[in-house]
Amino acid sequence: MGRRTLLALLLILALTGVHDVLAQRGPIPIGLSAPLTGPAAPDGLSVRQAVEVGVKQINAAGGVLDRQIQLVVYDDQAAPPQGVAVAQRLIERDRVVAAVGGSYSGATRGAAPIFQQNRVPFVVAYAVHPDITKAGPYVFRVGFLGPVEGAGAAEAARLYFNAQRVAMMTMDNDFGRALAQGFRERGAKIGLNIVGEVIYPLGEKDMAPHVTRVRGMNPDLVFVSGYFNEAALIVRAIRQLGVRAQILGEEGFDSPKFLELAGPAAEGVAIVTNLNRDDPRAVVQAFLRDYRAAYKMEADMVGASAYDALRIIVDGLRRAGTTDPAKLRDAIAATRNFNGVTGVLSFTASRETIKPIQVQMVKGGQFRYFGVITDPEIITPP
Amino acid sequence: MLGQQVINGLTMGAIYAVISLGLTLVYGALRILHVAHAGIYVLGGYAGLVAYAHTGSLLLAFLLAMTVSGLAGVIVQRWIYLPLLPQPRIIPLIASIGLFIALEDLLRIAAGPYSLAFSVRVPVPSVALGAVALTSAQLLVVTVGVPLLALTWWVLTRTKVGLAWRALAEDLEMAQMSGVDVNRAVGLNFLVGSALAGAAGVLVGIFFNAVEPTMGDMPAYKGLAIIVLGGLGSYTGAVVASLLLGVVEAVAIGTIGLLPRDALAFIALILILLVRPQGLFGKR
Repeated sequence: MGRRTLLALLLILALTGVHDVLAQRGPIPIGLSAPLTGPAAPDGLSVRQAVEVGVKQINAAGGVLDRQIQLVVYDDQAAPPQGVAVAQRLIERDRVVAAVGGSYSGATRGAAPIFQQNRVPFVVAYAVHPDITKAGPYVFRVGFLGPVEGAGAAEAARLYFNAQRVAMMTMDNDFGRALAQGFRERGAKIGLNIVGEVIYPLGEKDMAPHVTRVRGMNPDLVFVSGYFNEAALIVRAIRQLGVRAQILGEEGFDSPKFLELAGPAAEGVAIVTNLNRDDPRAVVQAFLRDYRAAYKMEADMVGASAYDALRIIVDGLRRAGTTDPAKLRDAIAATRNFNGVTGVLSFTASRETIKPIQVQMVKGGQFRYFGVITDPEIITPP
Repeated sequence: MLGQQVINGLTMGAIYAVISLGLTLVYGALRILHVAHAGIYVLGGYAGLVAYAHTGSLLLAFLLAMTVSGLAGVIVQRWIYLPLLPQPRIIPLIASIGLFIALEDLLRIAAGPYSLAFSVRVPVPSVALGAVALTSAQLLVVTVGVPLLALTWWVLTRTKVGLAWRALAEDLEMAQMSGVDVNRAVGLNFLVGSALAGAAGVLVGIFFNAVEPTMGDMPAYKGLAIIVLGGLGSYTGAVVASLLLGVVEAVAIGTIGLLPRDALAFIALILILLVRPQGLFGKR
């Protein structure tokens, strides 16, 4: 080997060495999958903005492991095939150390096994389907399981509204069915009188025929599942057709878009959800304030959940002291009493969340504190 | 409950009727299945929302929506369909589908992918007749939709333009030989048919308190099913089929529950065509 070749080799080694060091000193890539276009786009926007608020806060405070965080965001359109494609891109091209699942159950169910196979921690913000966390030990969930939230709603119907005749309006998809299952099971246990159930298709616009059936059941409380579009149409139809029953919704209602589309009909509607906007804890009020300052709009449940998912990953990185995926996973799994915006939460052995279920009511065109359900029998996922 | 479902169905049916009557007009002129009619309807919804947001006037909202949609219809007819007419039938149809998708996407880019609230204080109170309620939104559909349908009807049956349109629908060449100014009649036809679509866009926007880029999906396929069901080219057929479909949908949901609602139009279409291949009011 000539002297020149040796020098060249040394130079190459040095350069690649420098590159390695740079890679370790450079920003830590964290992925985010969210529905930025399509019918779920308002939720996607909330999620992206909330996570960006989180990244800004963390980076301004010096980052984590002495490195900055770099957020990589892709649009999954809330569609399963897109969810899979986004997961693959985040893992293979962007080499993220972990990702926030900021989408609905469909897209998230597609993505979860990809993250599991590649052993990249995936913290799901608000998708409710039970199969998501069953993908394996690298998948976590910040939001409630559908049946847990449904059980919380049944409890709220009895505890806060003393409901005598309860009708259900169930959206015909994973989300609606899972909520209905929890509601019925808990309702049977506490002797709730469920007088009937109307099931309507996802994306339905003309709610009058469905609500007319509900009116025929003469309920004093209607438990409604739906995303903000369906929710607003149902609430309007209920009020327009002269049904005076208390309306009890769920986290799908928890969006400024619901308040906008339902208008005055939203007044007095109660929901079970993840977020208590009147929570005095500093972490909650700082998030709401920073979000409002950055985007001139109000934060919502999906945003708060995604913000928590990001901070759980960062908290895991800090405790693991490394970006090594296996160690990061173990650190996240060990999360206990994490001070999240959506509540002080812990993970169970099956990587589901335990945290209180918030009951909010629309007053003066805003979601306000109404109650909270903390009974461990209800909030502990099966 | 049945009475309420019939009212629910008739209001939805009146909306279908405004959309499909416009579609029938346009079909009668050029014999093109004008899928982009649904895109022009969405355009009307947005135009109405913009007008209402700036002026707070419901009347101006309808006027602007009908003007914008009417002009858009004329532009489509003049610069897209006319040059494609000599081509095989499928070419203008494909152009129409492409145009529909392009219109929806343009509106999505311009106004965002979200539903925008079309909150209107409907100037009519809701009416309760025993167990049957006519909500203020339903009343609005009746008070705007029915006069629009009646006016179109009057133009069709009592005016020279209407006579020319009906002649066109019967036989374009014969009409031309009988001295009908075909170009003018076809242009007017698209103007009026598309203006109806624009009015329907505003009606639906107010009825559901939301205007969104994908709102045209429903009329895009249901409108076609309705006009075939009514008998292609038949104005009476389009209106009757619309009202029938609205009532059947509402009553079926009210009695059976969860149904593939949007498939009902096509199930009805298949059943009717098996018995009457020319549709309800079509001529052989």
